[in-house]
Amino acid sequence: MELQDEFYNNAQYIETASGNKVSRQSVLCGSQNIVINGKTVIMTNCVIRGDLANVRIGRHCIIGKNSVIRPAFKKFSKGVAFFPLHIGDHVLIEEDSIVNAAQIGSFVHIGKNCVIGRRSVLKDCCAIADNTILPPESVIPPFTLYSGSPGKMIAELPDCTQDLMCDITVSYYQHFKPHGKGK
Amino acid sequence: MATFMSIDLIKYLCNCGKKCPICRMYLCKHCLKLRCIDCVQHEVDSPYCPSCLESMPVSEAKLKKNRCINCFDCPLCGHTLMTRATSQVSPNPDDPSKAVTRKMYYMACGFCRWSTRDVNLPDQNVATGNWPVMENPNAKRISNLLENYKLIAQVEKAERERKKYVKRRSHLYLQEKYNMSPAIVKRKGMASFSSLSLKEGDKTPDDLDQSETVSSFDPLPTEFFTKPAALDKITKLTHRFMLPEFQPDETSKLHPVRKHLLMRKSLRCSECEHNLSKADFNPNSIKFKIQLTALHWIPEVRIMTPSTFNLNKETVVTLTLSNPSVFNTTVTLSQIENETDTDYCTAKVELPKKEIVLASRDEASMHVYEESTATHDFKDDPKLIAFRKGNKVGFIVKVTPVVKDSDVKICFLLKHEFRNTTVAALQSESKEPEIVWLEHKVYLCLGTV
Repeated sequence: MELQDEFYNNAQYIETASGNKVSRQSVLCGSQNIVINGKTVIMTNCVIRGDLANVRIGRHCIIGKNSVIRPAFKKFSKGVAFFPLHIGDHVLIEEDSIVNAAQIGSFVHIGKNCVIGRRSVLKDCCAIADNTILPPESVIPPFTLYSGSPGKMIAELPDCTQDLMCDITVSYYQHFKPHGKGK
Repeated sequence: MATFMSIDLIKYLCNCGKKCPICRMYLCKHCLKLRCIDCVQHEVDSPYCPSCLESMPVSEAKLKKNRCINCFDCPLCGHTLMTRATSQVSPNPDDPSKAVTRKMYYMACGFCRWSTRDVNLPDQNVATGNWPVMENPNAKRISNLLENYKLIAQVEKAERERKKYVKRRSHLYLQEKYNMSPAIVKRKGMASFSSLSLKEGDKTPDDLDQSETVSSFDPLPTEFFTKPAALDKITKLTHRFMLPEFQPDETSKLHPVRKHLLMRKSLRCSECEHNLSKADFNPNSIKFKIQLTALHWIPEVRIMTPSTFNLNKETVVTLTLSNPSVFNTTVTLSQIENETDTDYCTAKVELPKKEIVLASRDEASMHVYEESTATHDFKDDPKLIAFRKGNKVGFIVKVTPVVKDSDVKICFLLKHEFRNTTVAALQSESKEPEIVWLEHKVYLCLGTV
């Protein structure tokens, strides 16, 4: 099934020169620490905590409604340190998910209503099913699908996951249209 | 996509008779046939630990019983245990009046908070690699049995070989009887079984302790009836199955579980044994040395929009075809003659009769979204072709459901040009790749009546 058009209110989104579409109702704390590389969609009521540490988001990512992206911390004997958070290209994070990871690779799919535990590392081409809880410091290897609470590997992803994720994120961006504009 | 969209709506028929979504299929470039994930040969390339992502050769993994040495799972919830460091104050052995602080390590679960201290495992003074390994109580018996069965297998193999040999080359068998020259024996591969049959004598398969039949059980201790059950101290079945060799019945006997290894696989065509997919050695990498996934070579059919159907009423459905090849590709669609399987065909379908030319895939223009920039010089019938966009074309089919109260399913034969670029490149560089027509049966589930 091809993706269907999704319309948004033109006044509610800011489109940058590099093609990012950021909702005015999203909360970007410490925006000087947030780098979004282009053609990324950040939807309404997202929170990105750039005030804690640097957050870098790659190209063609989609951050769904009500999701929270916050850099992870680690307790040391002399207090707490926050780690910068890197998100790769073609990453799809669906609604209501909380991402507390240290690193998210490229071509990653995080489903709805997930919790990605503190300092988790998600490698390239992995997927997290809806309603999954990943405990702190999980490592998700490439080409695996994790599900459940705590998240466990339940399946392998096809070899062409990279192409599939590219196709989805690009066509999602194409189908994410303002009202009354375009066909 | 495999996790984001429903991929089960459109399936291609594999050569083995199974219907699979296209992303799970491969196209063997030597037989030019579709192979699904279930009809290819799987080979283990390199086992690796999913937690520390360290890969090792197959023989080493076998030695370690396919488990990682350094990573442990929580025996309660199955999540990977974290190593925690603490400092411990102990008296200095040289000077008892002073105290030294040493770093000690224990493991804890970040999910259910279980820790090695809960079961009184002593803390370790190194972070990894020093955790005690529990000895399997039945290890000796298992190795005895294994040895025994290996011997039986060897004897049986020798017998089978002898039979085969006798049948095929009876004259040679006679020659052996009359002391054939050793050179010929070696060449004919007889040396193996003659040596086997000699070894057979020194150990017979049945000098092994027989397992004993259990005829009576002790009666159930009365405390099960008299004392309240301490459910919080008893393990569940899942906990026992995690450690099948010990099966702890009390939570105090739980022990960290060594993490199971995952593996990188390579796939081979079951007929010509050419590689279809071979992943990079490094478990972190998502690159492939060889990757013949069908998605890269075969036009992909998708449904444009969900539509509603009425029984015996014609509905117009737009399907899309996308071209993965860098050449323009001609596609024809036709009915599958005498498709009897009503499970996969519950509607009449009117397909475009003309052939459809798919524009080539141009990687650079894939990311340009301005519509109508790409001008095509295809002369399309607007009744047939709904739209064109890059390498994608939308075409119209008319579907009439004929079966009541069921999913609307249609099937057709997709015939497309295929240019075998790799084989052509091997033959000569100047030669144009040869055009082959490939046929695939496609099964679609469009919706419900």
